[in-house]
Amino acid sequence: MTKDTQIHEVEDDLLAAIDYCYEQGWTDGLPVVPPEASRVDSMLSLEGRPPETVLASHPATGLDCTIHAAAVNAVMAGCLPEYFPIIVAAFEAMNEQPFNFHGSTASTGGSAPLLIVSGPIVDEIGMNSGVNLFGPGNRANATIGRAVRLILLNVFKMVPGISDKSTQGHPGKYSFCIGERCDKNPWPALCEELGYPDGVSSVTVYAGSGFVNVENHGGNTPQAILTTVADAMANYGCISAGQSVVVLSPEHADIVAGTGWSKAQVQQYLYEHANRPIDGMQQIGKFREEEHGRGARAPPASHQVHRGLNSEDILVTVGGGDAGGHSAFIPSWSRSRGSIMQSKPIGVCLDCD
Amino acid sequence: MKLIDPTVQGPNTIHKRAPRLASVNGLTVGLLANGKANADILLRETAALFADRNGCKVAEMAWKRNASAPAEPATLEDVATKCDFMLTAMGD
Repeated sequence: MTKDTQIHEVEDDLLAAIDYCYEQGWTDGLPVVPPEASRVDSMLSLEGRPPETVLASHPATGLDCTIHAAAVNAVMAGCLPEYFPIIVAAFEAMNEQPFNFHGSTASTGGSAPLLIVSGPIVDEIGMNSGVNLFGPGNRANATIGRAVRLILLNVFKMVPGISDKSTQGHPGKYSFCIGERCDKNPWPALCEELGYPDGVSSVTVYAGSGFVNVENHGGNTPQAILTTVADAMANYGCISAGQSVVVLSPEHADIVAGTGWSKAQVQQYLYEHANRPIDGMQQIGKFREEEHGRGARAPPASHQVHRGLNSEDILVTVGGGDAGGHSAFIPSWSRSRGSIMQSKPIGVCLDCD
Repeated sequence: MKLIDPTVQGPNTIHKRAPRLASVNGLTVGLLANGKANADILLRETAALFADRNGCKVAEMAWKRNASAPAEPATLEDVATKCDFMLTAMGD
């Protein structure tokens, strides 16, 4: 506990305690595990720092999320203590200024922080990186993502209709957390690409809009699969200068990598093919001079605009069940580059003394 | 059963309105666009009304770099030195 911890004495009745949490406005609409004191202590057991340590601060309100407050909300979400280091690392990532977590959680754009966990912790804590990747059924995925939402609601007061002005939101605002599938990934894992030491897992946090399913069961070349993905990335409803997340299914990844394509080649192909003509953007009212150039910097109408600024703006990973030609594209929050994805190592500090 | 409150208390920040100006006649109006489309058009047209009706001078427009993030402190400090009052807007 911290000096500011507030205790609520309630009767020893679990159902009444669940109702009490509803009455206090502490839930996301679903029942929560009442944040009983001993459970909070257990949640903190794997965290070596003092509970009053601040993980993230909210620039608009001055509210801070301490390790203790994060643990209380993790209990309510249904997390096990071994999940907690992922939540800690996720908020440390969101606290980096380029992530802009106030804007991405308050905006009409209605994004949700997508957590992509990579490395040995995925299997160690039993995360799902396979079948039904974005769906229900796995405690770790479901409750880690839910803890992030409860912290945004309870600690940072990002309350729908008051400070969260999402026009429509999306289901990932309940929980949006996946594991990277290592056994079907033909390329280096995200944690390796980040340059973390062997055995160190990572979490990448991305302000993601709604999920776009990319179906192709007939294509059997890298070009066929990736052209399908690029088309989804470039649809008029999604295209912007923002970043992208592409989760290739094992089937699609096998086709793409089977002829030797590297991940860098995949990213470059997607960048080159996820584009729209400028005159088309102008016709639908989405060409933005602030973003694409005005006056002498204005590009010719015969040119294209691409999704993102370069191929490195496209994160490519692998996940999902063995069967099925279904990959996913996750558009970035809203119209532009208001939030840049951030990554952190889990459970370790690589630049501490 | 002891439940731990999952919320936190905010900082005790007291916000006060700036003193109301007795008149805007002849003053300099600053402009801060929030970065979304049309904010500059809305601000310039509004500032033109102050110029026509009140003889205001119009300072060079300042921009937020990110519409969804607070203005950079340096931007606000710079605008504050160049105007007597400021208009900010989105025209989205």
